[in-house]
Amino acid sequence: MELTNEDVADILAALDSLPYDELDLRTPRFRLTLRRAPGGGWTEESQVLADPVALAPAHPHRAPGAGEGRGAGAEAGTGAGEAGTGAAAEAAAGAGAEAAAGEGRAGSGRAGLAAVAAPLPGTFYRAPRPGAAPFVEVGDEVGEDTVVAIVETMKLMNSVHAGTRGRVAEICLGNGEFAAQGATLMLILPAGAGRPAGPPA
Amino acid sequence: MSFRRILVANRGEIAARVIRTCRRLGIETVLTVSDADTRSLPARLADKTIRIGPAPAPASYLDVDAVVGAALAAGADAVHPGYGFLSENPLLARACAAAGVAFIGPSAETLVSTGDKLAAREHAVAAGLPVLPGAEVTGAEAGRLADQIGYPVLVKAAGGGGGRGLRVVRDPADLAHAAAVASAEAGAAFGDPRVYLERYVSPARHVEVQLLGDGEQVIHLGDRDCSVQRRYQKLVEEAPAPLLGDDLRDGLRAAAVALGERLRYRGAGTVEFLVDPRRGAFYFLEVNARIQVEHPVTEAITGLDLVAEQIAIAEGRRLRLRQEDVTFTGHAIECRVNAEDPAAGFLPSPGTVTRAVFPAGARVDTHVQAGSAVPPHYDSLLAKVVARGAGRGAALRRLAGALERCAIDGVVTNLGLHRALLADGEFAAGGVDTGYLERLLARESARAVRENGSRHYTGSGVGHG
Amino acid sequence: MADLQLVDVSLRDGNQSLWGAAGLRTAHVAQIAPVMNRAGFRALDFSSSTAMGMSVRRHREDPWDLLRLARRAMPDTLLQFIGTGFRFISWEKAHPEVMELVYRTLVNNGMDRFVVLDPTHDMDAVRATARIIKRAGGTGTEVIAALTYTISAVHDDAFYASIAGQVAACPDIDRAYVKDPAGILTPERARTLIPAVLASLGGKPLELHAHASLGLSPLTCLAAAELGVAVLQVGCGALGNGTSLPDAERLIANLRASGHAVDVDDRLVALIARYFDGVAEAEGLPPGRPREFDAAFMHHQVAGGVMTTLRRQLSELGMEDRFGEVMDEIARVRAELGHPIMVTPFPQMVIGQALANVAGGGRRYDQVPDQVIRYVLGSFGKPTAPVDPGVLDRILSRPRARELAAEPPPPSVAELRHRFGERICDEELLLRFGMPGEEVDAMLAAGPAVTHYNPDTQPVLRLLRELGSRPAPAELTVDKPGFRLTLRGGDRA
Repeated sequence: MELTNEDVADILAALDSLPYDELDLRTPRFRLTLRRAPGGGWTEESQVLADPVALAPAHPHRAPGAGEGRGAGAEAGTGAGEAGTGAAAEAAAGAGAEAAAGEGRAGSGRAGLAAVAAPLPGTFYRAPRPGAAPFVEVGDEVGEDTVVAIVETMKLMNSVHAGTRGRVAEICLGNGEFAAQGATLMLILPAGAGRPAGPPA
Repeated sequence: MSFRRILVANRGEIAARVIRTCRRLGIETVLTVSDADTRSLPARLADKTIRIGPAPAPASYLDVDAVVGAALAAGADAVHPGYGFLSENPLLARACAAAGVAFIGPSAETLVSTGDKLAAREHAVAAGLPVLPGAEVTGAEAGRLADQIGYPVLVKAAGGGGGRGLRVVRDPADLAHAAAVASAEAGAAFGDPRVYLERYVSPARHVEVQLLGDGEQVIHLGDRDCSVQRRYQKLVEEAPAPLLGDDLRDGLRAAAVALGERLRYRGAGTVEFLVDPRRGAFYFLEVNARIQVEHPVTEAITGLDLVAEQIAIAEGRRLRLRQEDVTFTGHAIECRVNAEDPAAGFLPSPGTVTRAVFPAGARVDTHVQAGSAVPPHYDSLLAKVVARGAGRGAALRRLAGALERCAIDGVVTNLGLHRALLADGEFAAGGVDTGYLERLLARESARAVRENGSRHYTGSGVGHG
Repeated sequence: MADLQLVDVSLRDGNQSLWGAAGLRTAHVAQIAPVMNRAGFRALDFSSSTAMGMSVRRHREDPWDLLRLARRAMPDTLLQFIGTGFRFISWEKAHPEVMELVYRTLVNNGMDRFVVLDPTHDMDAVRATARIIKRAGGTGTEVIAALTYTISAVHDDAFYASIAGQVAACPDIDRAYVKDPAGILTPERARTLIPAVLASLGGKPLELHAHASLGLSPLTCLAAAELGVAVLQVGCGALGNGTSLPDAERLIANLRASGHAVDVDDRLVALIARYFDGVAEAEGLPPGRPREFDAAFMHHQVAGGVMTTLRRQLSELGMEDRFGEVMDEIARVRAELGHPIMVTPFPQMVIGQALANVAGGGRRYDQVPDQVIRYVLGSFGKPTAPVDPGVLDRILSRPRARELAAEPPPPSVAELRHRFGERICDEELLLRFGMPGEEVDAMLAAGPAVTHYNPDTQPVLRLLRELGSRPAPAELTVDKPGFRLTLRGGDRA
């Protein structure tokens, strides 16, 4: 429910002749309290309770990765807009933010690292079960078929393989965070490559 | 063209106001937020929010790249810049155009013309408007020019406006220094060190005319009186301007339209005039090429939604109203409730609103509710309370009654000052000049001294005033 | 695949089919109008004589004000008026001059699309009306001829193709639509009918307006999209489905799933649909729901409401056992009267005559209602097929027939101005012409209509109003899904 000035005026008109001095109306999104004022008329105390819905931010001042960041943000933004309110929008926004964040940390000046991408959209888990040790930590050696993570989609657990022989250089998402399809989950320094340029994230 | 989604590139009460009209029209809103505004009331009203930077305005609300980037990221068709911030900045207008996003406001060319107060003066002269005797000064000729104009003289910044960059010089000996300081300040504040002199008229009234243009046709939506000011900041506004002769009023309106037509004005804008009540004459001051804080009083007496009109014009529509379709009914007055302490030299009072009670059934444009932050980085406007009546007396009574039912806790407000003003005989008589508020403050101070032994004006809005 | 456009009928046909033309008030329309304008509908079915009369009579609201308000709020959408061209609000035929004034006044107040609906397909009359409309509105006005669909021996594809050919040849008609008020056009029939019509339409666009009463039209619309129909007509939310037109959201999804493009703003279509859902809920009005196919209806084509009334009438006459006989008589009378399409007022007319024939006891056509006499006299247009000569003769030889034939012509505009006053504006003049004066007076006395509406506040307002009419408890809390309301009295700090 969103109340306009005219709505409040309608309620007041119906309320004024009743013997009540206070009306309190609550919905999950809104709270309105009308009280009769001693000098005549009514006071209104209202609160919009609905939470703001944030879109993925734009990053206009970023370095070479900046274009991708904005694009990801744009997709998240537009996608969210078309999907409308609710989970889809937030998921898309989250995905955009994640993708932008992931690329932000990894993209600029970090050529030579192989990305491990989420095969499906879902929740990123670093360990086979809650409480168990993570599959890998930064610095661990992995082979192409090493299982490095799980992405859980609609109760189905999908194993994620390293895809590259080398060492885990960076883990880009937190345990339990949402990963969009194709989002970078971690970065592998391929065996035989030099050290990555630039400081670690 | 129809906008599906608008980026509301502003904050505070005007952001909430723009969002309200967009909701009614079915236009989706994305609100730009700095870190200080992520959970504000407008942020909750908007369909989505998008972060544009940290709290300080230069890094967020004044950052053209951030705003345009946000528009693109949000997939917005248009940007509504509100007032203040970048609303009259040609860089934003141009950047929007380059990005393929509509700017809800005049063209960049118009913004350049109106933003440069000297250029605006020239346009006004060319359109046949009376201007105060004056001209641009560069150093040496200041004294000679001021002698021609006559003292006192007002030193103004060409890149200023909205009351900024003004100083009065009464003694010729002070002129050179004043002009130099003004130029240095203007260079720092506006990036434009040019200053000009104008005759200083006192007493004077500040009367402005609201315009609506579609790039070809221009109409006016009546006048407003904004003479109740402190240091050029408006405090109380009303429509129509009271106690103006018909000829003078018609002259003002016609002049404003003539200037708007010369500029081929597109959008909503206001032409500000100085009215010399002793001579019954008016002079052009400046053009505000944006929607203004005080627009609700015009809406109250015309029944129009100015934000909706802005949107329609930006969508490329011709004006849907002819001048004869605009009717004026009644009188409206607005009070700006600010988070400031009149008893402490109007020191701003940022903080957190713990409670916000407003008069039910009156128009209150606000961005605060219980829990709202009033950040120190921005202006102190908390709410505008607007009352309308069949005549000025009725509007005044209604507004006084409305203010009785206002209470804002958690920050200091100027509610007490407003109550004193609405009870004041001089204001009730109408037609006050720009010196009025200082006179009222002096009277109230004197009364406080008599009543409380305190030297300072003690009216404030803390608690239930 | 084709691009389809949509025309929304919620405000007029939806309201009429589902809510007796009385559900929507000015406030309901005014609130949603700006949003409807942006949704991307090509046009809205906005008003009719019936709707305008209902506004005055039932709601005491000025339909001209509503039209002006809507026009201001909806600059991008064509606003449609549907009429036969013969009458304005009242059942009596109007003088052609008066009809010209009607159309001119509608155009002046913002109407820019007109459907000429003649269920008898009297094309001379249609052309005359189209000419009047074009004269009143100029090139900015869109005129549409309705091809009203029915199942009968004479209404075959060739018949409709020939009507389409006449539409093609008439310079004052811009497009046509197939109107299926009973919802009986099957996809199978559409696959022959629509190509036949399009082939003769001379390139003018064709729209489809098919009621969802039998659950067929959502499918028929999909078929039509494949066959070259340019525009499909729909209803939104609670004002779609049921005896109204196919639900907009569902049809849009189905069209897209079939590979067609529909350029509307989905978010706004959903907003509009939810709004009408809210109105229905708040006002206690029945929302349209998907309907089941009824094979018997395809045969007799008597609408549900009319059927209910018929059964009740038979019961009152003690004739329930003769229902089958009455149904047979209806079919017979329909054929004898030249196969009128079973669209108001014809079902009532045919059934009335059938009842008279069965219940009368004497010979058939011993009793003939005035309406039937007027029909055969041509007051409702030239019957599509000739009236059976024997029946025609029996009816016209009645003294009453001579009386009705000799009725004076309807008053001209000058006569109306003389009767109602030279000073009143055309809008008021036309209302006074079509309606009893007291009803117009009452509307004018009621003042301007409310123009805002919020479905969500209605339960609160209703409760508050009810509390005014009985002793109220000192404190009251109402807990409903979605809101909690508390009222307290007495002194509060």
